[in-house]
Amino acid sequence: MSDWTRGRRRDANNSEVENRSCGPSRGSNCRKRGIDGSLRANREVDGSGGEKGEHTDGSSKHSDKRHDGFTTPESTGPVSRCSRQADWGSQVDDDEEMRRGVHRDMQRYRRRILGAEVTQRERKTSSGSSGSCDSKEGDHMETDEAVLLRRQKQINYGKNTLAYDRYIKEVPKHMRQSGVHPKTPNKFRKYSRRSWDQQIKLWKVKLHGWDPPTEGGQDNVLDNIEELGLGDVMDIELDFPNLPDSQNAPTTHSISLDGEDCLGTPVKVQKTESTVEPEMA
Amino acid sequence: MENTDDYRIQSFDLDTQMLLKTALKDPSSVNLEKVSDIIVDQSLKDQVFSKEAGRICYTIVQAEAKQNNGTFRRNVLNRLQQEFKKREETRGRSLQEWVCYVTFICNVFDYLKVNNMPMVALVHPVYDCLIRLAQPDALINEEEVDCLVVQLHRIGEQLEKVNGPRMDQLFFLLRDGFLLQEGLTSMTRLLLLEILEFRAGGWVLSGTAHKYYYSEIAD
Repeated sequence: MSDWTRGRRRDANNSEVENRSCGPSRGSNCRKRGIDGSLRANREVDGSGGEKGEHTDGSSKHSDKRHDGFTTPESTGPVSRCSRQADWGSQVDDDEEMRRGVHRDMQRYRRRILGAEVTQRERKTSSGSSGSCDSKEGDHMETDEAVLLRRQKQINYGKNTLAYDRYIKEVPKHMRQSGVHPKTPNKFRKYSRRSWDQQIKLWKVKLHGWDPPTEGGQDNVLDNIEELGLGDVMDIELDFPNLPDSQNAPTTHSISLDGEDCLGTPVKVQKTESTVEPEMA
Repeated sequence: MENTDDYRIQSFDLDTQMLLKTALKDPSSVNLEKVSDIIVDQSLKDQVFSKEAGRICYTIVQAEAKQNNGTFRRNVLNRLQQEFKKREETRGRSLQEWVCYVTFICNVFDYLKVNNMPMVALVHPVYDCLIRLAQPDALINEEEVDCLVVQLHRIGEQLEKVNGPRMDQLFFLLRDGFLLQEGLTSMTRLLLLEILEFRAGGWVLSGTAHKYYYSEIAD
């Protein structure tokens, strides 16, 4: 079989997840599981309020039937599930779990939104103020399954890291400050493809601030961000105009953060006063 | 489900038939790895069985899902994957086995869905198989062409939905084969022309085309 077909199949099987926070092999300490398949400690279960759309996802739960790590003929021992699923059985199991998870999330989100809307309405009628635009959020949520699945996969890659684990242990929900602490993008909100991808990138960059220390010394990503004067930029919820997915994000400067071996992809950050350059064809 | 004739298990010995019938009703009571191996092995040998083996797989998968189990499905898929890896070798050894394999994997693709969606993991492998069947050295063999068009009739529309570009790629090959390849039998050309028209009509054959291809010619 040609290399081309092999490559394409891999892409299809792993959907459009280009931003893998499971990074290069050197960054194995970023993964939620070591190469020997040993599981990290259990995460806290998602409780009340706080981030919308954030739930314990399928990748952290272990249905009884699944092994924590599995041995493939090529490997010498159990292989981390974070790595590419080679066998069709697991791929299908995981895919099914993710779809189910997304449907479950959608129902919970709807209920949550409806609940919030009712409370808001009650509050408004009692105080006599006029309605705000938020009350109709339930009508404008993203429901396209393909989109939700793709977004969920991207979120999973970010959550399936030691950094995320350490983060949620260290900073309980009620202590989180917006802007300072990473917040999982809400997959049920309508965003353009580019906007969403950028939110994911920025979220993962922020999460790297909680990476476990490496031998080479850990540069705090958040320090880097402040140094580069990007602190304000990181807080802006980027909402790009609706352009076709095939175009790349227009940037005038491309800044890769140093010392971050775990970053799978270089991060492009847009300066607020930049001018948009036309894409090179 | 009670009519097990649908599953074409008559070719098995009685003990195996018993095992399969039990698996259909109560998967957790049997060794599902063994059952999946039996089914896969038979599908590779028996053309009649391979044409509908997906259905028996479907029933067992449904039954085991109710028992919160996924062993059977996982095993079938992994066996399929193993066979996929050595498909070229299989084809070299026995055209019949190769054709049985393609029939089986397409059948599984047809029947086993995940939340009513086709299994993503199978899409490219199925395409790889069909595209292999459209290669010049395969179009020469009527049994391979026959397999190809039969599968396209069954799952072509679904396949196109999940990946249009590869279907286009396949049909480029079919057009080329039909137009340019020497040494094709007239039956092969007929099959190719029919499938070209079939897809062009949106995976439906027009009434007149149907008459052309499928009516008996009264003499």
